Amino acid sequence: MLTFNPFPPVADLLLERIDALPTDVIGGYQVRPGKPLPFGVSHIPNGLNFSIYTSAGTACTLVLFNRGDDQPIAELPFPEHYRIGDVFCMVVFNLDFENLEYGFRVDGPHDPIAGHRFDPSQVLMDPYARLISGRDVWGETPDWQRPYPYRARVSFDDFDWEGERPLEIPSEDLVIYETHVRSFTRSDTSGVKQPGTYAALVEKIPYLKQLGINAVELMPVYEFDEFENSRIHPDTGEQLYNFWGYSTVGFFAPKAGYAATGKFGMQVDEFKQLVKTFHRAGIEVILDVVFNHTAEGNEYGPTLSFKGLDNKTYYMLTPEGYYFNFSGTGNTLNCNNPIVRNLVLDCLRYWAAEYHIDGFRFDLATILGRDPWGAPLSNPPLLESLAFDPILSSCKLIAEAWDAGGLYQVGTFPAFGRWGEWNGKYRDCLRRYLKGDEAQVGQLAQRVQGSPDLYQPSGRSPATSVNFITCHDGFTLADLVSYDHKHNEANGEGNRDGGDDNHSWNCGAEGWTDDPGIQALRHRQMMNALTMLLTSRGTPMLLMGDEFGRSQHGNNNAYCLDSPISWVDWSLLQTNAQLHAYVTALIHFRHAHPALRVNRFDAEASALFPSCSFHGSTAWQPDWSDHSRQLAWMISADVACDHGLSRPDTVYVATNMAHYATWFELPQLPDGYGWHLCFNTGDASSPMDASEPRYLDSGILLGDRSIVVMSAKQV
Amino acid sequence: MDLTIESISKDGYHLLSLSGDVDTKTAPSLLDALTALELAALAELRIEMDQVGFLSSAGLRALVFAKQKMPHTARLVLVGTSADIADVITKTGLTQAVTLVATHDDL
Repeated sequence: MLTFNPFPPVADLLLERIDALPTDVIGGYQVRPGKPLPFGVSHIPNGLNFSIYTSAGTACTLVLFNRGDDQPIAELPFPEHYRIGDVFCMVVFNLDFENLEYGFRVDGPHDPIAGHRFDPSQVLMDPYARLISGRDVWGETPDWQRPYPYRARVSFDDFDWEGERPLEIPSEDLVIYETHVRSFTRSDTSGVKQPGTYAALVEKIPYLKQLGINAVELMPVYEFDEFENSRIHPDTGEQLYNFWGYSTVGFFAPKAGYAATGKFGMQVDEFKQLVKTFHRAGIEVILDVVFNHTAEGNEYGPTLSFKGLDNKTYYMLTPEGYYFNFSGTGNTLNCNNPIVRNLVLDCLRYWAAEYHIDGFRFDLATILGRDPWGAPLSNPPLLESLAFDPILSSCKLIAEAWDAGGLYQVGTFPAFGRWGEWNGKYRDCLRRYLKGDEAQVGQLAQRVQGSPDLYQPSGRSPATSVNFITCHDGFTLADLVSYDHKHNEANGEGNRDGGDDNHSWNCGAEGWTDDPGIQALRHRQMMNALTMLLTSRGTPMLLMGDEFGRSQHGNNNAYCLDSPISWVDWSLLQTNAQLHAYVTALIHFRHAHPALRVNRFDAEASALFPSCSFHGSTAWQPDWSDHSRQLAWMISADVACDHGLSRPDTVYVATNMAHYATWFELPQLPDGYGWHLCFNTGDASSPMDASEPRYLDSGILLGDRSIVVMSAKQV
Repeated sequence: MDLTIESISKDGYHLLSLSGDVDTKTAPSLLDALTALELAALAELRIEMDQVGFLSSAGLRALVFAKQKMPHTARLVLVGTSADIADVITKTGLTQAVTLVATHDDL
């Protein structure tokens, strides 16, 4: 009897996938209708699938170049039946994709008032390009006449992660270190092999590990052009750049010029290797991402990609077709348009999945919550999509909750239970208290316990607050205590750029001084600032180099300076070794004291004390008056230990920002406990507990502008 | 500069001896030479690199391709790689795919 086998061995069928065969020939290239998703270019057997969106474009041509050639090798117009909805898609077979650069021409109306700026003479970059050539080596003067300056290339996803995955450290346990890839190691003093690159940053991992930080936040690494708006300083003749990189050329591509291997087009692998090595050291990688605008500027800016693909979709336009400028840089990405929303989502998913990125900090994030006409939305769909995205579910999302259009949302940023915020109010209050301003203690009490006034009513937690005193924007810590005013002459804008609301104090002389008294005070003020930062609840963030007194010589906006003003001077690590040792000890102290990292505003009292309490010269009696410049906070929590038991962890921080010494009575401990003095910034010779532990019972005299930190220990 | 490839079966391993530059023009011939081997059955593949001045990303991809086709326990050894090329391999994390040695005696 014959039996019918419904599942014959596959080999017997000689299967050949029909959709992997060409159906047409265009310009000598074998092609077939492509797949509309995913957008951009994707590999299929023997070919590449190209997919590009335009709603108002009427025709599209795929333009192919051999790498580096001025003229294309082929232009393949998409036949009408290769268009599905608003998406042109085509598979091209047998391309030498290692050597390929590609772009698109799109035809359509040129009617700026109606929002359309189609120009088929321009070759446009794929907004989904994962590898971009054109600025392969940092600072190499570009050929300005070259057609199609930033070119999409084809990347490979064959990196071997060897089982490595994102760390998923709880936000409250993070100590973030903000850094700029090039600034960090560009100086000869950095002692690395290839200064200013991803590879050099990897060389500094042992340093960062020893410091104790467990997350780096990288200023923009998406492909940008350091020559955008580059100019010559009118007085000094110095070349000025788009140094910081807050102007994106390609959202899916790592900056080639930061890669030691960028000239080989290997930046994707080098950056993945960076993430992998950081993760192996227990350090997360957070990216500072700029979705509020692009490098295309306003109506006078270049047409690189979005402008020629579907201007009206991608940008916020006035009724007359001009560009809204909420970013302060010329244009504003139309983030709550569903197409743009998906682009942002696709981008972040790509970096989370393909690069194992642990979190994102969104530059001028309130723009992401504006509607297409610029009005703030109460329930912004983009922010909601990001908050609930399944691929981003363990990524940190951190907002810079303000924009250049005047929208300030610290505390009110639409968080959907997920978003953290750069807490600008923390920065301002801590700075003012540090320099001895009146009427700060009330607000300070809120700030050091994670800003419940801002975040508790909406059900958020202390780790929502990314606490910082300095960041790339503004003075470094050393400059905060050395300058009353900004000194931005090197930027070539007559010192008009940069903020004036620095809340800084120079301690008695503007800038460099050889006065030992002033030097000592500055040193103490730096320790004071970092002591308060690292003993506050919330997520602390340090700026690169502040741990050893990095200075930008009073420049509070070094966005354009690829010079020693911006570069971290590693010789200061020796000069300010004591400060560095102090900060290192503080960071390790924070890791050792879970009470400081409690992530609830309604946390229960420990066996000894309330979760958070405030004190003054007299224990339990803080002086809330306007003239008060003293405040102590005590943070306590029961911490699980072996055998199902718990022990109380208690930290007491007394701060005296007055210009005179003040006695602080210590809260009384039960029998068997003593106050262990851990840090005392007023003790110039040994500000931290290095030798014999000192126990105190009744109180301590704090020197002028000094802070002590103690922990309750069983004696 | 052209690339010449000598492919020799040795006792216990297979040897590819390269001379010239591996760039976008010549990388396909390296890939062809690698594909021609029975990679899935190789315990060790050695590539002599001391006469190679330049290795492009396409060349690196070809090596990764070969390693992926070889058995898990097999090793792919680059002998006498120049410092520049070794640097690129290290920075891009390809050292877990290839073993770098100065001479055959180092194995």
